[in-house]
Amino acid sequence: MATGEGTFVPERGSAGHEAPQKKRYAMVIDLRRCIGCQSCTVACKEENNVPPGVYRTWVKVVEKGKYPHVSRSFVPILCNNCVKPICLLNCPVQATYQREDGIVMIDQHRCIGCKYCIASCPYGVRYVNPLKKYVQKCTFCHHRVDNGLVPACVETCIGRARIFGDMNDPSSEVSQILATEPVSVLKPEMGTEPRVFYVGLDLDAADALKTWQRAQEA
Amino acid sequence: MEVRTLFDTPNVIPLGKEIATYFYLTGISAGSFVISVIAVVGGKVEYKPLGKIGAVMAPVALVIAPIFLVIDLEQPTRFWYLFIYLQMTSPITYGTFLLTSYPLNAVIYAWALFTGNQKAAKTLGIIGIPLAVCVHGYTGFILALGKGRPLWSTALMPTLFLVSAMVSGFALMVIASSIYNKVTARKRPPQEIAIEKGLILNLVKFLGATIVVDLFLISNDILVLLTSKAEEYYVVDLLLKGQFKLLFVGIEIVLGSVIPLFLIFMRPFKGSLAAANVASAFVLVGIYAMRLTVVYAGQSIPLH
Repeated sequence: MATGEGTFVPERGSAGHEAPQKKRYAMVIDLRRCIGCQSCTVACKEENNVPPGVYRTWVKVVEKGKYPHVSRSFVPILCNNCVKPICLLNCPVQATYQREDGIVMIDQHRCIGCKYCIASCPYGVRYVNPLKKYVQKCTFCHHRVDNGLVPACVETCIGRARIFGDMNDPSSEVSQILATEPVSVLKPEMGTEPRVFYVGLDLDAADALKTWQRAQEA
Repeated sequence: MEVRTLFDTPNVIPLGKEIATYFYLTGISAGSFVISVIAVVGGKVEYKPLGKIGAVMAPVALVIAPIFLVIDLEQPTRFWYLFIYLQMTSPITYGTFLLTSYPLNAVIYAWALFTGNQKAAKTLGIIGIPLAVCVHGYTGFILALGKGRPLWSTALMPTLFLVSAMVSGFALMVIASSIYNKVTARKRPPQEIAIEKGLILNLVKFLGATIVVDLFLISNDILVLLTSKAEEYYVVDLLLKGQFKLLFVGIEIVLGSVIPLFLIFMRPFKGSLAAANVASAFVLVGIYAMRLTVVYAGQSIPLH
């Protein structure tokens, strides 16, 4: 049926119908609360059986300034479970797929290990499991989330810097922080729409190249 | 402001020399196939030997090339998943079918050419040209769609790959046909050999012209990178002053493009078959350096 120009057509399942809304999981990391203890790094390794040498999450530690005016910044890094993941578009065998709730998954029985996803991910959060020989990454601990728990890194974070939840639910803590705090994401220019948000992200700490260039010169 | 990273995970380079070699071989194959078809379809009778040499080289290079791809997989035994699980947004999925249909076509084309079936050879050759263009153009897309890598994600990449494919194809054709000419010199009439030498020298001029186009594209790419964005500054620094200075400026540009241009167009080398062969050898080395540079330098910029 043709609709007139300017007519508002509500999307199916949106306001007006009491249909349950789709979940969209997201994580907010309040860096003002992060102390760089790497507990999340350890908890993730433990929970997800991550072999030595590779990480699903870690805390990048950056130090800046000259004594006595110095500070340390921490940037916990993990898969952003993007809304528009380039890894998903580029995976030639559809081993990477996205769940209804937005979590980007890898089918371990499907992955051929071409590593194209690793090469195209702007965040460098995928790795080849050195023992099992296929690509893995953070999945927001989907096995825990499906059973009503929060991801292991969130559970273990001693400063409660990591907050996880459904950003489509306005009453969730994640939604409230997103609505009220100044949040940012890593590399927004990539257009991937990351779903890991940071509060209080430092420009220099988020910059992948600033310290790297210095290391090159040295 | 002094900024130091105290802890971060190392930058990983997932795609290595296998992929660079694969790009190199598909390039050679596509280049020599296109030259062969031009010789067969557009050329006069005396161009025919060139057509046959190209027709042999194209499938040989393209039978070896995918082996490198399979070796590079972490799960080589699952390579056939590429045929049954398709992702229409991924250039690798297109590549699966291009890498299957193109060598098949190239083999039948070569067979038709050697059995003297000119009509079939012409038809298959014309079908094969878009296939050859796609089979190498798609490898450029593989890199161009890697949006996290500043050196790769340029719309110039497929064209750059196609032109460098033609360059390496011409270079290998020059060497292969010179060897063929030399080896068969005793068996064939001297005037035929002389005509063929003239043809090879013509081919060398085309080689020179494609090198100029290639240099033009590379300089466009570099100039834009130089005035682009933060990450691009770093990668162009890496190419011109950093880790890849020798491979990029030294081997790819100077040895692989500038010196061959001198050997092709400047006296006293102009018109010398020996100089042309030396130039072609340098070009082949230079294009391999180009593949390595693109693959490695593209991934050498850390992501976090």
